[in-house]
Amino acid sequence: MSNDAELRALNRQALTATTFVEIVDTLVDDFDVIEVLTVLTSRSVELLEAAAAGILLVDTDGHLRVIGASTEQVGLLELFQIQNDQGPCLDCFRTGTVVSVANLSDSSPWPQFAEEGLQAGFASVCAVPLRMKDLILGCLNLFMSEPVALSEGEIALAQALADVACIAIVQDMATREAAVREGHLQFALNSRIVIEQAKGMIAERGGVDMDEAFARLRSFARGNNRGLTEVAEELVAGSISVDAIVGGRRVPPPPNTRHL
Amino acid sequence: MNDDQSLRVAVAFARAVAKTPPAGLCSACVDLLVVSGAGITVMGPGQAGLLCVSSQRMAALEDMQFTMGVGPCQDAFQSGMPVHAPRLDLPVVARWPAFVDMARDVGIGAVFAYPLAVNGARIGVMTLYQDREGDLTIGQHADSLAVAEVLTETVLSLQDAAPEGMLAESLEEAVAYRAEIHQASGMVAIQLKIPVDEAMLRMRAHAFVEGRDVGEVAADIVARRLRLVDDRRQPGEEV
Repeated sequence: MSNDAELRALNRQALTATTFVEIVDTLVDDFDVIEVLTVLTSRSVELLEAAAAGILLVDTDGHLRVIGASTEQVGLLELFQIQNDQGPCLDCFRTGTVVSVANLSDSSPWPQFAEEGLQAGFASVCAVPLRMKDLILGCLNLFMSEPVALSEGEIALAQALADVACIAIVQDMATREAAVREGHLQFALNSRIVIEQAKGMIAERGGVDMDEAFARLRSFARGNNRGLTEVAEELVAGSISVDAIVGGRRVPPPPNTRHL
Repeated sequence: MNDDQSLRVAVAFARAVAKTPPAGLCSACVDLLVVSGAGITVMGPGQAGLLCVSSQRMAALEDMQFTMGVGPCQDAFQSGMPVHAPRLDLPVVARWPAFVDMARDVGIGAVFAYPLAVNGARIGVMTLYQDREGDLTIGQHADSLAVAEVLTETVLSLQDAAPEGMLAESLEEAVAYRAEIHQASGMVAIQLKIPVDEAMLRMRAHAFVEGRDVGEVAADIVARRLRLVDDRRQPGEEV
């Protein structure tokens, strides 16, 4: 091995280590998944000496969508999109295995993809699955400007990068889902509490019991075509007067709702 | 080994949950975690609903925390970390003096609070009480974390099944238990012309000064046996 090649190998090792440290750092606390994936594609390009990289995820309708790319290069987006019909990503996603093509000029099972890839200046391509156990979320797509086959070691590295992307995506989905469920619970809990508070206000002002107070709150909400929680919240916040509800009158909606 | 044990406990708890109404969850905690008592509170920022307690003693302690607005439960919720008080003379406990007095009165020697949290979402606290002083064993701690996880999923699943915007019927108890307190805060807000949040603080202060539970104070207000006095009269204003 020449000195030059040795140096490159050493550089790559150091860069690999730095990349994983950097990405693990971004995974703590409130990380932005798009940012993590964009960093991943840029580092994939550097580490694997590729010309471009992108991460494609399959959406709920089964379409592959680009979620992060190393460059905004003209033609790259089209290369990702075309793979909903044909290309290494589609095959990789369907089979869950690495799909690598060393020379796009050779006869290809995806003629349209190969033609557009060559036009965009790419000579070889590799797609690595993003997988979590049996679930395949999408793939990491690498484009090289030279007709080269990635070595076994390089493919293993690409797979490791794809695995980190997968962890980021799965963690992000879990966090989002938990936040939505927490939000529903808190809203419902708060709604019940605010209704009790509103009942107390109406009971006190109207000199009635809690059942009657609730009946008046409900009839006011219905009469004004508003939700019970919404009216209770506005009463407690002071934007509806308690007298309006105790008296059971219709009131015009507050001025700000007219602009909606 | 502990992992296996905790997994077994989690599975046993999940099984118990499947055939237990929420009111019975605390008894399941007590049985599985081998503690003297437990309380489960569903919480949001600035609000709390008691889902269940394993006995009257624990109800009094949970109510005390609600009255004072401080205690192991609030600390665990706010920090998102378990709060361990294996003895009641530790610095960690000194922040809740009224809680400690009552805990001693009802014969509690140690308290452990676990947040009910998953993936950054926080929805409540499971508080464990021990008659004897002393830390939980490592196994009990691991099991408690596992049970807290199942409990979190249980509460969220109960709510998932509810119609949009409505509190799940099985969680209604958490609010109904303190409904009177919220009603009373609405009444006090009108009486003293103050916001509801402030009315709640006034009721808490009154309960504390009188050495009573805020629930009792609320019951008196709702029954119109008690009116809190407006102490914000302007200087020179006639009484």
